[in-house]
Amino acid sequence: MIIHHPLLGPRDAAEFVYKGDVTLIDRPDWQAEDAAEAFHDYLYLRDNPAGEHRELWFHEQGDRSWLVVTRNTLTHEITKVELARDVARERGRSR
Amino acid sequence: MPDLTLTPTPPLDGYAQDFAGTRLAEASELAIVAVATPAGGETALEAAVKAAYGTGTPAPGASILSKDGKARLVWSGPDQMFLLFTHDAPDAEAGVAAALGQAGYCTDQTGVWAALEISGPGVRGALERLCPLDLHPDAFAEGAAARTVMEHMGAFVIRTGSDAFLLLSASSSAKSFLHAVELSVRNTA
Repeated sequence: MIIHHPLLGPRDAAEFVYKGDVTLIDRPDWQAEDAAEAFHDYLYLRDNPAGEHRELWFHEQGDRSWLVVTRNTLTHEITKVELARDVARERGRSR
Repeated sequence: MPDLTLTPTPPLDGYAQDFAGTRLAEASELAIVAVATPAGGETALEAAVKAAYGTGTPAPGASILSKDGKARLVWSGPDQMFLLFTHDAPDAEAGVAAALGQAGYCTDQTGVWAALEISGPGVRGALERLCPLDLHPDAFAEGAAARTVMEHMGAFVIRTGSDAFLLLSASSSAKSFLHAVELSVRNTA
């Protein structure tokens, strides 16, 4: 499998490590009233779609950047690769 | 306390060997300093690098030589670069930090990497069995730099000349890395 890194171009998937569902970016507020329940959901509840899935990959044997990869779980086709930093900033995070 | 004299030893003991078509040698006096960009400090670091080294910061996947040709600036990740230069004393980080002022966060990486120079007309034949990168001259221009994995060991691959590459790998597994590269050179010689 080849992942098209947004900065570095096509790279072998062996350089990357899968790090989980992209919802991990949205860490709940630990000071909120319902923090315990929110963290339970954050840690344990995942959608398991047959089809398009957004997921985090870490370029461990490369430039150490985190990527958001949109991959079809039925065909393994990768339709989009973004820097996780850009995705997090789009969602209003400072970094 | 007894008087002790500590003598620095390069991780590959200064290894150097010539094979048919390929020369393999440790770059034993190479200092490596990582420079990270402070959040929002891109412009200040760019200016400090320009003043100290006479060049800009490297683009992703690239490395550039300083104006005097003594230091190589290697892109190592978003907001981070490695500075490589010949230096035979354990104070490389202090020199870079002084040259850049407060514009970048410097970390001495000299002791954790083993550096291997590989050159000669047979270099791509030897490397293509180990390295998943496309090292064809059209795809990997002079100065190109990439971090990848070779024989399960992380490595930097930097093209320093038309048929010359500098390889960096962890000093803790330096001999395994040398074994892998040397074996490939022997097999393809």
